[in-house]
Amino acid sequence: MPLAFLIPVFSFAACPLIILFQRWLPLRGAPLAILAIAGGFVVWILATVGFLAASADHPACDVSPITHALTCHFTTTWFDAGVPSEIITDSIHLNWGMLIDPLTIVLLGLITFVALGVQLYSLEYMKGDPRFGWYYAWQALFVAAMLTLALADNFLLLYIAWELVGLCSYLLIGFWFENPGPREAAKKAFVVTRIGDVGLLVGILLLWVNVGSFSMTEAFAAAASGQLSDGVITASAILLLLGAMGKSAQFPFHVWLPDAMEGPTPVSALIHAATMVIAGVYLVARAYPIFAASPEALMVVASIGLVTALGAATIALVSTDLKRILAYSTVSHLGLMMLSLGALGWTAAVFHLMAHGFAKALLFLGAGSVMHGVGAHGDVDIRRVGGLRRAMPLTAAAFSIGALSLGGIPILSGFWSKDEILLAVSHNLPVIFIVLTMLTVFLSALYMARAMFVVFFGTQGEDSHHAHESPILMTGVLSILAVLAIGFGWIAFNWPGAFDGFGTFVFYDHAEGFHFNVVLGVLSILLAVGAFALAWLVYVRRTLSIQSWRARFAPVLRVVENRYYVDETYQWVIDRVVLTVSAALAFFDRAVVNDVGINGPADVVRKAGIALRLHVTGHVYTYALVVALGVIALAIFWWLRSV
Amino acid sequence: MVPLLYFQLLGAALFGIGLYGALARRSAVLIILSIELMLNAVNINLIAAASYLNGIGRFAAFDGQIIAIFVITVAAAEVGLAFAIILRMYRNRGTINVDEINILKW
Amino acid sequence: MQLALFIIVAIFTIGGALGVVATRNVVHAALFLLLSLLGAAGAYLLLFAEFLALVQVLIYGGAVTIVVLFAVMLTRSSEYPRITDNRQWPLGLITALVLSSVLGAAFWLTPADADAERKAPVFTDLASSLFTKWALPFEIASLVLLVALIGAIIIARQQNVVVTDDTSPEGED
Repeated sequence: MPLAFLIPVFSFAACPLIILFQRWLPLRGAPLAILAIAGGFVVWILATVGFLAASADHPACDVSPITHALTCHFTTTWFDAGVPSEIITDSIHLNWGMLIDPLTIVLLGLITFVALGVQLYSLEYMKGDPRFGWYYAWQALFVAAMLTLALADNFLLLYIAWELVGLCSYLLIGFWFENPGPREAAKKAFVVTRIGDVGLLVGILLLWVNVGSFSMTEAFAAAASGQLSDGVITASAILLLLGAMGKSAQFPFHVWLPDAMEGPTPVSALIHAATMVIAGVYLVARAYPIFAASPEALMVVASIGLVTALGAATIALVSTDLKRILAYSTVSHLGLMMLSLGALGWTAAVFHLMAHGFAKALLFLGAGSVMHGVGAHGDVDIRRVGGLRRAMPLTAAAFSIGALSLGGIPILSGFWSKDEILLAVSHNLPVIFIVLTMLTVFLSALYMARAMFVVFFGTQGEDSHHAHESPILMTGVLSILAVLAIGFGWIAFNWPGAFDGFGTFVFYDHAEGFHFNVVLGVLSILLAVGAFALAWLVYVRRTLSIQSWRARFAPVLRVVENRYYVDETYQWVIDRVVLTVSAALAFFDRAVVNDVGINGPADVVRKAGIALRLHVTGHVYTYALVVALGVIALAIFWWLRSV
Repeated sequence: MVPLLYFQLLGAALFGIGLYGALARRSAVLIILSIELMLNAVNINLIAAASYLNGIGRFAAFDGQIIAIFVITVAAAEVGLAFAIILRMYRNRGTINVDEINILKW
Repeated sequence: MQLALFIIVAIFTIGGALGVVATRNVVHAALFLLLSLLGAAGAYLLLFAEFLALVQVLIYGGAVTIVVLFAVMLTRSSEYPRITDNRQWPLGLITALVLSSVLGAAFWLTPADADAERKAPVFTDLASSLFTKWALPFEIASLVLLVALIGAIIIARQQNVVVTDDTSPEGED
């Protein structure tokens, strides 16, 4: 377990090695990245075994007084900054450190596993790309940063990893930077998440100022013991949430995620399932002691989650691009996780994070397989493909499993995690929340059903004639993920003799078993099955037509199809406010800073130089004259001294 | 009996004339000639001092004269080199007027 | 008697010097220089430095003046320019006057404690001093002369000589 730091280190090492030596390595160094992450996965297994065997009397472990979960802590000094003085009572201690608790363990498992799958899958998907080696280098760095983020025991290290994740997402989304689309998308992702990152940084600094340490443990202890004032706790919680909203694509920062699919599809799978977007949810879950101490912050988290979940679900319902549907689905489900966190459903949120991660990785890799099979690079318009079931049976099956799981069909993983969320919401939040959450669940099932039925069932579309099944490596990864999408949910239960259930392992404050509320369960089953049935009637049997509905709700539809004009609002703000201010600042910069501040001294020097160089005539006799003047001065000097 | 001061003033006057020539003339040859004047002014001074301050202070007799010999030696070498340079300058630039040669700058 | 001789010598020296800096003709300037240097040699005689006077006449009167005349001939600067002084001559004049005044004032105001009775120096003393006490500088001076000689040859030599098959180097001076 103390060697858990190796999990990210392998991949960190792989990145520069691939960059430097890709020309001489087989397959441009891709096996190096895969070996690194596979090594990380093995270390994770060993660490997990070690963690499960450890108890509170392990020297590095104890039961946290706040979360009441077994927490292991390994840390080593990085450097001390500053000398203690009258003003600074203590130098600032900066540490490298790992905080290993159940949350870390499950998250590391998700990341290493999905990343391993994605990297294997990419071997086929990215085959023949001119920058194959670079792709794997950035993949390795991306995963390493995300793993570091999950392991970090202090906010500073977390922030470093956080920014590295942002950087790698920029590099990978814009991987095909020759085209304007990925370029713009990468910029958008970087800038939008950066807005949230500023909040995160300010929040971290606020905590540091008040706690006096970057250590998470100390910050949480201070928050739980009431050492911090309510204002500080709420403010820092909201600021941390701001960072989480940026990374986890919560309204109103969700705009970058749907565009992020401009990158290679396996990258989308990684971003949507195992890295990047879950960083935000992880941050809130990790910093939960701070949120839990502030009811207002929790309410904000829940509200933002609900708005995001509902809004994104409606957009997903009317989108026509397969990857865009999946992207908005991710936004919606991230909203659900946030909602769950806000509703004190901590375990449910983490559980959904895992279930969604596997399902979404499956769906995205399935979508990539569809693109690979159809031969499209970029967008897959679901109106132009259809009936791919016959040409790509394995992909169809895997995608359907992912869709059903995410849609909340019983016994698949997504069903259990979603039920837990519904339970938490109904227990701890006003009734309006549960109603809207139910609506989200219904919509979620509906758009997943729509995507699945239109693409794989129904009539053959015009683009699907030459479709073919993807290579074994891709379908193999899909199959493994499909098994997880089916079976992962079952670890929620208490399996006598083997496992006590997810809730007894990953919990906040107190262990909980699996609860099943019959009313909510039946209701959600009805909604999910109903949604799939409705979609079946509309898109496969075509016994129901949606044209009349489309006509009746045309204005609403237009708003939703334009994604609630969020992008347009941003554009307007940028055009009218940001650019105006920028123009003023640019003028100030040019007129005052540049012309006066920079060119001013230069001008003075230049003019002085012009004046001064007149004495440099280039004639020998002028110089001789100056020498003679010097001689006179020396003569007078010596004479006066000798007198 | 001529006082030492007279020789010294003669040397000072000769040096001033030489300096004026070195600073004011156009022709490089004339500048060299003026420098010779200045060297001679120094020599007069040295020999006068050697003659009048014989054995006074740290200087032994003749020391001033011997230094004057070295000055003459170096002056001879200097004249030889200087005229070689003037010759070169004349070949390369077609003139020996120093005010037409102003490349010694920025 | 000595004073009269000194005045004659001084007139020769200063007059020759003024001729050097005033004349327009370079050859005349060289001859004026010769006059001034012979005057200086006379001054050396007045100071009982016969050897120096001899050397002065030989080196300056012989070698230097001849070299100057050769230089004048080779650079063909015999056409007399209308302007012999450069543009900064007033500044040069002022500087020269100031320096002369400073030197003169310094000599005047800080008189050296001159030896009252001047012995006629013995020439052999000078020779033995030159080859014992001053032997090292003497040898170095010879080295300086040698280096100056070689340097002058190298600098003055025609450098862009192209040695082709059998044609003799062109334009050798």
